[in-house]
Amino acid sequence: MKAARGAVLGGMVLLVALVPLFTPDTYIHNLLILTFVVAVTASGWNIMGGLTGYVSLGHGAFIGVGGYTAGILAQRWDVSPFLVAPLGGVAAALVALLLGLATRKTRGAAFVIVSYAMLELLGQVTRNWSGVTGGSQGFLMPLPSWDIRFQNWPFYYALFALVLLSIGMTVAIRRSKLGLGLMAIRDDEDKAAGIGVRTPVYKSIAFMASAVLVGVAGAVYGYYVSTLSVGTMFDVVLSMQVVLAALVGGRGTVWGPILGAFLVVSLSELTNTTLGGADAGAIRLILFGGLLLAVVLLLPKGILPAASNLLERWRRGSAASPTGARLEDTPLPPAPARAGTTTGPSTGSTAGSTTGSTTADLLRVTDLTMRFGGVTALDTVTLAVPRGSITALIGPNGSGKTTLFNAVDGTYPVTSGSVALAGRPITRLGRVQRAHAGVGRSYQLPRLFDSLTVVENVAAATGEFRLTNLVLGAVSGAEAARATELLEFVGMGAYRQARAGDLSYGQRKLVELAQLLMLDPDVILLDEPAAGINPTLRRRLTALIRALNDSGRTFVIIEHDMHFVLSLADHAVVLARGAVLADGKPGDVSTDPAVLEAYLGEDLAVGADK
Amino acid sequence: MIRLESVYAGYGGGDVLQGVDLAVRPGSITCVVGPNGAGKSTVLRTISGLLRPRAGQIRLGDQHLNGRSPAAVIAAGVVQVPQQDGLFGQLTVRDNMLLGGYLIRRDKARLRRRMAELAETFPIIAERARDKAADLSGGQRRIVEFARALMTEPRLVLLDEPTLGLDPKTCQTVFETTRAIHALGATVLMVEQNVRFGLKLATDGVVMERGRVLLAEPAEELLARPDIAAMFFGSSAGAGTATGGPDAPGH
Repeated sequence: MKAARGAVLGGMVLLVALVPLFTPDTYIHNLLILTFVVAVTASGWNIMGGLTGYVSLGHGAFIGVGGYTAGILAQRWDVSPFLVAPLGGVAAALVALLLGLATRKTRGAAFVIVSYAMLELLGQVTRNWSGVTGGSQGFLMPLPSWDIRFQNWPFYYALFALVLLSIGMTVAIRRSKLGLGLMAIRDDEDKAAGIGVRTPVYKSIAFMASAVLVGVAGAVYGYYVSTLSVGTMFDVVLSMQVVLAALVGGRGTVWGPILGAFLVVSLSELTNTTLGGADAGAIRLILFGGLLLAVVLLLPKGILPAASNLLERWRRGSAASPTGARLEDTPLPPAPARAGTTTGPSTGSTAGSTTGSTTADLLRVTDLTMRFGGVTALDTVTLAVPRGSITALIGPNGSGKTTLFNAVDGTYPVTSGSVALAGRPITRLGRVQRAHAGVGRSYQLPRLFDSLTVVENVAAATGEFRLTNLVLGAVSGAEAARATELLEFVGMGAYRQARAGDLSYGQRKLVELAQLLMLDPDVILLDEPAAGINPTLRRRLTALIRALNDSGRTFVIIEHDMHFVLSLADHAVVLARGAVLADGKPGDVSTDPAVLEAYLGEDLAVGADK
Repeated sequence: MIRLESVYAGYGGGDVLQGVDLAVRPGSITCVVGPNGAGKSTVLRTISGLLRPRAGQIRLGDQHLNGRSPAAVIAAGVVQVPQQDGLFGQLTVRDNMLLGGYLIRRDKARLRRRMAELAETFPIIAERARDKAADLSGGQRRIVEFARALMTEPRLVLLDEPTLGLDPKTCQTVFETTRAIHALGATVLMVEQNVRFGLKLATDGVVMERGRVLLAEPAEELLARPDIAAMFFGSSAGAGTATGGPDAPGH
């Protein structure tokens, strides 16, 4: 099957490569040149919009930046634009890096607008900076120096090579750790940061990769059109065609944007040749709009994913998916060894402290207050989590338990007060920094990257960051083995290759736990680990947490199942209405009259929200 | 009441339900238990129309339910209470209740009568009618949610892990509210991982495993069988308080 697919794709690539030899018809050459430009741009767009989830309406701007940069440099230095085309790519990548900085604050629809504004802004700058760019007069590129017999071949093959490079780059990114991190960002950016994915770096690299080949293609394209003007080089219609191509073909796939480029350019050309007169432009817009609507309604994932789904279904027939069975009473595998105690500059400072530190309290929260509008969710909370303890955090719904987790892991900035890990204040650190410093947490409603497989979800967690690691296989080597080991450990080994989005609530909880263990934090915050978990598995979970605790991990556990949590914990803290109600030994706390009244007793206390 | 015959269904990665046969007695509280991923929630989703079965029959009385839209299933008299907080927080309790009666929205008299009837069983929906749902406590929201499901006078109410994430006091409320729904004449089909809690509440118990029904018995008998308890409930029957429910410390 794989060989057949390779043969078909190889044949098509070869066919397109040989077109200039078969036919001297420059009309066909020109059409394919335009297709290549759209294909390279759509493929670049796909890295930003398809893999990372940042939809850009201004990708045509990179064509302009690349084209003008190469044109101006070629004129200054009196060399062929082909020679300086790579510099056009560099310029485009730098602009993309700046755009990437905008994503620190903007996501979703706001980013779409920012990307469009970038296109307009760069167009305006080019138009008004006439001393350098030729302004509205346009900028004349040098005439091609090669023999007329070769027609447009150099443009044709340069752009064709760029299409192949784009495909190669997309394949490489998708297979790498970088690609895994990008897809994690697409599915849930905050969660990705929480398991140690250094999101700003990943996004910066993705944005530059997304623009660099487009810039080079822009340089070649500028040479080809011979007169650079703002209208052709910062073209909003081209930017739209690019988005359309990627969506029609299949967002996030390797070949989808390429297929989409061929379809969109053909359709565009068809309307150019068959429709005449003043209305042609308007009719074309209607056709494109209609196409986009049809794709969104009928094939929301695009042509290629829909086709491969169909093929898959046809080949597999009615296969059964793995389903939950009672767990055999097999002995628990040994707790995974603590990784990263000797490696990594970022973990070094705290990981070393697990063995010999002066502070007895691993996590210390002091006078922590959190206000949302008029609601005080936490009111001067002070508590300490002893190193190596299992601390139970209990209290009624709405008492602020999850909010406390959010304050400790950096989800929300605190109103006042401080959080310290192993004596080091972490209140000012971002989420990624806290993850690398040794804070890991699970969620009450487990958050997984739904489009990724179970093993990819676990492998996405990363306790340290090294640029050189990004090129490694997404799930490979020792990490793949460790991810598999952890999945076996939580009883989800059979689901390695299942899509996380298809799992049930309880299963998602278990995968999230494995993900957390992959990160291997010093303190593990679990938000209702036993909720929705079958009693048999709950018993196994108890054994699992004990084993991990014996191997040196510290736990803070929010849980309503008193039997479960009090049998585990050696320390308990009770929250009620955002304040600490009791703090001490589990036995004492659970018989405290105030706790009975607030938490276990009869009256329905009206807590704050949640 | 409702009968499933060799139902197959899944989410794209293959079938999760692999030939489910299940019959729910009219007037029962039937509780489905089993390992994580056994297909318990999937059974509820295929009944309520959120998931289309690939093969098999789902019959409510003499009506066929397979392949019907969720709205058609509600119209047929089956309502599902979502697993997690499903109230519209920014709307008032009254508006949330009215949305529960969306299908009968043109029949103003019936809506008003039904609200009044439900307020007798669940006084909170009258007392807090003008308050935003977000201002209620977790337990109160759960009561309103249950009451809302009853607006269209369903014959069958589906509960997907009704105690998930709730503190012990609120679990007690859910226990009582489920009894109240039952007392109002509805049949209840529920999924619960809090096995002891679920089976104490239920009249009938169903054990699922690997996408099939393994066993269906009166709940009491199921609870009393030590072999089943050891296999599925995580402890021998004597181990007592495995739940955070009504038999947690303090009760």
